[in-house]
Amino acid sequence: MLAYDPSTNPLNNNEWSFPLLEIIHIASFAISIGTIFIVDLRLLGIGMRRQSVAQLLKDTAPWTLVSLAIVLMSGPLIFSSDPNLYLHNPGFIFKMEALLVAIVYNYTVHSRVARSNPSPVLGKLVGGISVALWVSVVFGGLFIAFT
Amino acid sequence: MSLLSVFQWLQATEFATALRESALVYPTVMATHLTGMALFGGMIFLTDLRILGIAMRGTPVSDVVNQFRPWKHAGLTLVATCGIMLAWAKAEFYYHNPFFWAKLILLALVGVHAMVFRKSVYKNTAELDRAPVMPTNAKVAACLSLLLWISILSMGRLIGYYELPVQASVPAPGQQTLLLAPAPR
Repeated sequence: MLAYDPSTNPLNNNEWSFPLLEIIHIASFAISIGTIFIVDLRLLGIGMRRQSVAQLLKDTAPWTLVSLAIVLMSGPLIFSSDPNLYLHNPGFIFKMEALLVAIVYNYTVHSRVARSNPSPVLGKLVGGISVALWVSVVFGGLFIAFT
Repeated sequence: MSLLSVFQWLQATEFATALRESALVYPTVMATHLTGMALFGGMIFLTDLRILGIAMRGTPVSDVVNQFRPWKHAGLTLVATCGIMLAWAKAEFYYHNPFFWAKLILLALVGVHAMVFRKSVYKNTAELDRAPVMPTNAKVAACLSLLLWISILSMGRLIGYYELPVQASVPAPGQQTLLLAPAPR
């Protein structure tokens, strides 16, 4: 079996590469989750009420997708710096579970409901779940460093 | 009384010590700092790209700027409150940290940016809606805003990577040992 030796990873051999990658990861997650939050605030009926939910989704979706793609490329690179550390980290495991649910939810229930300009009750439910899921992802990620 | 002794006093307060030593509260404050950043940062990013004519083109500039404003203020309040708590908990480490001071200077420049552009851009959105082409000063404001905030985010992350020179980390007699934030890896 081929063994992967993280010490050969360029990320572990250059002082600036790891922090730079983290900065890219953080900036892109802020944009992806931030743009989803904008739709959620509208679904919850507490922000951007001059636009319809469908209009806001249409306006923000491309930016959510592009930034999410950057998050999903930078994340595995960060992971590659020390796979064993992450695989045994409860914060990381929780984050991956929450992330999977959040992404599936976002591109099924969330987008479908947002496109249909839902009733206030349905909007609040769908928006509230979305906020809770993404906040969980952020907390899981941060707790990687503390668990 | 030197500035350093003020920061040492801040770090030695009961509040800072409890915060720093809490396995749950300290990371929760940091995670809230990041969550607030997503709310706040996402809106800054979209506002600037809207002014540049790149994003949200189906929505008038005035609707974007005016409806984001209360949430940006709320997000900034949340992020700043958490940020102050994080710095307070490890005040002496922050005092010695060049990335912390760079971040503060950049935040001061955000204030300058607001003073320079508020009247002509952010409080003048009805005019921007009517303009056939986006005025240059509005585009300059948007570019500078993007540059400032990405720099602030970068400095914030780099704070965690700074290591104190050895002599600065030697505690004075009777003083509590400095706790350093290891780079979260």
